[in-house]
Amino acid sequence: MSLDAAAPQLAERSWTEAFRSALRLMLALALVAIVVQAAIVVRARPQDLITGAYGMADIIRRAMPPDFGKIDMVWWPALETIDLGIFGTLGGIIMALPLAVLAAANLTPSRFLYYTARGVIGFARAVPDLVWALLFVTAVGLGPFPGALALSVHSIGMLGRLFAETIEHMDMAPIDALTLTGARRIQVFSHGAIPSILPSFVGIALYRLDENIRSSLVLGFVGAGGIGFELLSAMSLFQYQLVSLLLIVTFVIVIAAQRLSALLRARLG
Amino acid sequence: MLRVCGLTMRYPDGKVALADFDLSIEAGELVVVLGGNGSGKTTLLRCISRMLSPTAGEVWLNDTNLAALSGERLRQARLPLAMIWQHASLVRRRSVLSNVAAGALGRYGGLWTALGGLPTVERRVAYDYLGAVGLAALAGQRAGTLSGGQAQRVAIARALAQRPQVLLADEPVASLDPEAADDIMRLLRHLATHEHLAVLCVLHQVELAYAYADRVVGIRDGRIAFDRPWAELPRDAVRQLYLNEAA
Repeated sequence: MSLDAAAPQLAERSWTEAFRSALRLMLALALVAIVVQAAIVVRARPQDLITGAYGMADIIRRAMPPDFGKIDMVWWPALETIDLGIFGTLGGIIMALPLAVLAAANLTPSRFLYYTARGVIGFARAVPDLVWALLFVTAVGLGPFPGALALSVHSIGMLGRLFAETIEHMDMAPIDALTLTGARRIQVFSHGAIPSILPSFVGIALYRLDENIRSSLVLGFVGAGGIGFELLSAMSLFQYQLVSLLLIVTFVIVIAAQRLSALLRARLG
Repeated sequence: MLRVCGLTMRYPDGKVALADFDLSIEAGELVVVLGGNGSGKTTLLRCISRMLSPTAGEVWLNDTNLAALSGERLRQARLPLAMIWQHASLVRRRSVLSNVAAGALGRYGGLWTALGGLPTVERRVAYDYLGAVGLAALAGQRAGTLSGGQAQRVAIARALAQRPQVLLADEPVASLDPEAADDIMRLLRHLATHEHLAVLCVLHQVELAYAYADRVVGIRDGRIAFDRPWAELPRDAVRQLYLNEAA
């Protein structure tokens, strides 16, 4: 191809290149604009990081050494925190299981129940566990029980969705085969579906248990018991050495729950 | 025992998979259905078992027209009819014995079986059926660890646990090696001859049809091309079924 013949193509290519460059520049400017507006809205003040560092260093100094003499006070809230996670997960499983069956496209008995179950699961998930805790504290009073209820209801969201997806992805051939033997619907589910999906369900539930134990720490801040409640009280009373002890116990609980959950899930796999 | 009259299946897209199909099969008979891909073989079995609802026609199992039933009445009426598939369709995480005993679930109601339990008597009987298919030694093994041929034998034992009068087999040897395929066909022949089951088997292997069938039914474009005892069946007629498909 001669240079003359190639000229229109080269001109067209340079226009395309220029257009792409302009587009990239506009995208970069838009990104900067988003970051700037976010900094304005959150009223970010970098100078406060410097002054705040002094305050933080002062708190750390006052929190050292952790007050291990008060360890006896911590056992009970620690147990409460773990049990909040266990109760919340079990409650969530009990409520999520029937919803998941209804919300699985391949097992649901009707489209109406499918959409209703999906709606309930979506709602339970959309409302944060802290908000559920506030609602239950108002309804049943302070203490670990409203926290456990909050975790149960919020867990429906994640457990219901993942359980339903597991059911939808299971191999339907054994289900069809059992149906044709004349087994009833409930028998097909218990003999065909449950054995196939149980390992996945247990893995999901263990992961949720790990999540719930971590969430239960925060729920204490709204009066729902556990270590979180003790942490809030200690901070309000400026007992920073107790705060550091509680943080150490929290760290141990979270890491232990995470490791145990991962270990059990690995064994299931 | 099993009689199909004027069975017609038209899919929502207008495609006619079966047209005015007639077929009957008696106890002790092994009838093989041959036909090219998409000729309507599997649709025939699915309509007979009522996994699909035929557009028209009747499916008589003894004195009951399955095509006219639905729900609980269909479930009850279908109990004497068992089916095995190309893939064994076992519950892989359950033991071989539990898979076989599950074939009897249709005869039991109650909370125990609804919660995943199996009647003790059926476990014992299941063991006998596993013996009948030569796999009693594997009773405690997980179904997921079996070979294709073993899994298909377990599926047959599960079908037997249902105590059927009619056994439908949809390409039961399609994924097996020749030796395992021969074993399965010999077993089906044995069930027809000695257990007096009516066996209706869809196959692609013409040689197996000649070796084991009492009668061969040819199916082309959803219609019967021939229905004859194998001894009277010219090879050309069978070849014609597949030639048409190639064209």
